[in-house]
Amino acid sequence: MNDFSELENELKKLRPAQPSPMLIERVGEALENCPASASGAKRKRWRFTEWWRREASGMDGRLVGARDRERTSQTPYNHWWSLGFGLAAAAVLILFAVVTLERRHQQLETVAQTSTPETRAAPLETEQSTTRSKFVPAGGTNVVYNARDEGLHFADRSGRPVRRVRYNKQQTWRWRNPETGASLRVSYPSEEIVLIPVSVQ
Amino acid sequence: MEPIASHENWRNCFSEVAPGLLLFARQWVQSAADAEDIVQDAFVKFWRRNHDIDNRGLLYSAVRSLALDFIRRDARRARREATALAEVDSAIEPHFELEDDTQSALAAAVESLPRDQREVLVLKIWNDLTFSEIAGALGISQNTAASRYRYALSNLKKTFQPQ
Repeated sequence: MNDFSELENELKKLRPAQPSPMLIERVGEALENCPASASGAKRKRWRFTEWWRREASGMDGRLVGARDRERTSQTPYNHWWSLGFGLAAAAVLILFAVVTLERRHQQLETVAQTSTPETRAAPLETEQSTTRSKFVPAGGTNVVYNARDEGLHFADRSGRPVRRVRYNKQQTWRWRNPETGASLRVSYPSEEIVLIPVSVQ
Repeated sequence: MEPIASHENWRNCFSEVAPGLLLFARQWVQSAADAEDIVQDAFVKFWRRNHDIDNRGLLYSAVRSLALDFIRRDARRARREATALAEVDSAIEPHFELEDDTQSALAAAVESLPRDQREVLVLKIWNDLTFSEIAGALGISQNTAASRYRYALSNLKKTFQPQ
């Protein structure tokens, strides 16, 4: 390995290209937009499902052996408790949904009876959504990767010769949403033919 | 809910690892802009879960997996760009900040290495990962990582002799 130490030192002197200054801002925006407790919520949900599974199986998180399985099947009252709780929760949810629907229905009726002032809420929402979906140009490249000289031609029946050059390009345009950090990129090949007048003496 | 960005040191961590991460991402994608998008996604996902840089092998693993997804998703575009930009890209968006001809020659020699050797070299030299972390990030054994590293150095030594 010592044979390579000189080479390793030379390699370490090479510095990787730095990221664009925009990148740190974009990462900051993306991190701001996400809540810290997302993984915590997932963990809590896992704990709840784990607890629910253990409750339902009547076990304390141990592996379910054949004898244990037999015992849980002999004591089915745990399942009845679970079923009872489930049904009660479902009934509460249905009641809540019915009450909410009724209230919304009543509100709609009053809106229909009164009139214009509240209809201005909709344009505000669309304004917000358009500002969130606003993209600003962030740059573009136009790379000519092939140029072919196609020789002399006589264009438009004129007596003057022109030299025809065909360029093949790859154009790329970028837009970025400063609020959300989202980026949009359009890249397409293009071809350009240029006629250059030639003076003959 | 506390926003993740308020956790103090993400900016310091990111500033420290970003150049190496970008170099690593560019082992798969030609364009620096694509590499930045990949690094951004990987770092945000990683930081959401970890809030620190301790288990950084996972971060490199995420960059690799996102880069491979990107290649699969945009295979047609990648092929077209690769053929169109193969010659001009390294001149427009170099992987390294080059100071002299020796460094240019060395960078060219690095880029001509086989990909499996190059990715180990990039992780070891410019990201300071241990062989254990490299093995975790690339899904290979430590011995394989070490032997690829040795092959890379040996190949470089054949094509490039430091003056």
